[in-house]
Amino acid sequence: MRSHSEFSAQTLAVLAALCEEPSQWRHGYALAGQTRLKSGTLYPILIRLADRGLVEACWQQEPAPGRPRRHLYRLTAAGLASATGALASAAGPASLASAAGPVAAAGPGARVGARAARARRDVVMPVVS
Amino acid sequence: MSRFSRAAARLVPAGRRAWVEAVWAEAHEVPPGVRRLAWLAGGVQMIAREALVPRSIGRWLLFAAAAAVTVRVTWPGAPGRFATAVSRIDVVTAVLLLAGLPWLARWFLGPASNYRLARFLRVGAYAAVLALMVAKASVLRGVPAETGPALQFDWFSQIVFLVVMAGYVAATLAVAARRSRVAPATLAIGTGAGITLGAVMYAVAPLGLSNDATEPWLPGSDIDLVVLLAWVLLLGGPVAAGLVAGWCYSGPGNPGQIANAKIWQGGVAGLLATGVGALIVTVLGTGTVALMPRAAWLRHLLYPGQHLLAAAVLSQDFTASNRVGGYGLVLVAFPVIGVVLGLFGVALTAPMARSGSSPGGGGPPGPAGPPGPEPVPDPPDGGRLADAGAAADGPAVLPGRPGASARDRREIAALTAP
Repeated sequence: MRSHSEFSAQTLAVLAALCEEPSQWRHGYALAGQTRLKSGTLYPILIRLADRGLVEACWQQEPAPGRPRRHLYRLTAAGLASATGALASAAGPASLASAAGPVAAAGPGARVGARAARARRDVVMPVVS
Repeated sequence: MSRFSRAAARLVPAGRRAWVEAVWAEAHEVPPGVRRLAWLAGGVQMIAREALVPRSIGRWLLFAAAAAVTVRVTWPGAPGRFATAVSRIDVVTAVLLLAGLPWLARWFLGPASNYRLARFLRVGAYAAVLALMVAKASVLRGVPAETGPALQFDWFSQIVFLVVMAGYVAATLAVAARRSRVAPATLAIGTGAGITLGAVMYAVAPLGLSNDATEPWLPGSDIDLVVLLAWVLLLGGPVAAGLVAGWCYSGPGNPGQIANAKIWQGGVAGLLATGVGALIVTVLGTGTVALMPRAAWLRHLLYPGQHLLAAAVLSQDFTASNRVGGYGLVLVAFPVIGVVLGLFGVALTAPMARSGSSPGGGGPPGPAGPPGPEPVPDPPDGGRLADAGAAADGPAVLPGRPGASARDRREIAALTAP
């Protein structure tokens, strides 16, 4: 298994954004706005995360009239665990803030980690029950 | 825009096309103007990063460089000589064949298979054909000026040679194509047998083909062990390859379809077992004959302990040059032998299947053979159909994810439940 240190600052920003509400499917444009990453950076990151089984993707089932189906993303269980660990072990809020912009600036790393932990509980609970 | 996105998606590997379409689909949500342009520019950047284009351009540049070197090496010669004309026509035709046939193969059988061995076969065949052109031109330069009556015969043989080369290239592209229905195991078995046969044949006849072994080290008798091994490999190799390929095949379908697929695998395995060998011995042998007058180390290797006078070298080279034509017989006859014996070999698997020992024969499971590939056509819409089909039942996990675990599936079901 690869170590968490292999995540770049941009990847950590994407993971942080996905960790906010891990049970929700997210659009690329929303993630780009949240992370302030350009599409040319965001999507390759999502591709690599999906290749590693950390992110899953699907097509929107009921697109808005006249609009194409959108592509949706969220963390897998493995991705959530990995993201939580990576974010918790990140150097500090400052480094995240520089990379993730508003995501990290909205709260320190601990806040993201707490959200991730809560979200993980939300994901795991239905399985357990 | 959707048409453009589909076209753009074709530039990237099949597993990445959904992502390209995702960027384009998401562009509809971006406010028009500079921001949308910036979003689309990011999509173009992603395509450039993920695209096949750099790889395919690299492959074409490599081929163009190899072709240019081949033409450069084979082109020189006295303008009025028959050998010069033949060499130039050979090399131009070969380069055109190598450049054009992949387009035809792609049209009918899809792009190259993703299996490494299939790509190795294609690259090997291309390298062999180009090397053969160089070696043949070099041998022809050493042949004395032709006479009038011989000219017509030689043109005919040259045309046959080019047709045979085209056949080899076409066959290689066909078996290495994605929709060829050739199982990876069949490729491996046939290619392995072919390389073995080629190496042994070269050990027997490195200086052209004649009634006796042309290897100076061998006594030239048919009872020599290496000669015997060459015969065994030539006649037994395709049978064994066909038998094993048929036995290993375990593709889907009803018994009739499986039987037909096994026959196909056996024939292809036999073809590869002799075709690859024929190409190897022809290229290596012609190259050896071409090198012999120039490379002292090769003469020492072939005639150890002998100090050949210049006249003897010339004589040996002239004899070898005449024998090189025998490789043409090898190129034509070996594949025919291979197909026939390969089919015979796969026919031998029928009793085994009835006795239930074949892994794909419907009996008790034997040793697990690699699964036969189903033809994998290019998704006409870049994979959206597959995604759409999956989306009807639930979230469509992208091919980038190897496969959701049972736990993941339970989680997804729990989270997407109304």
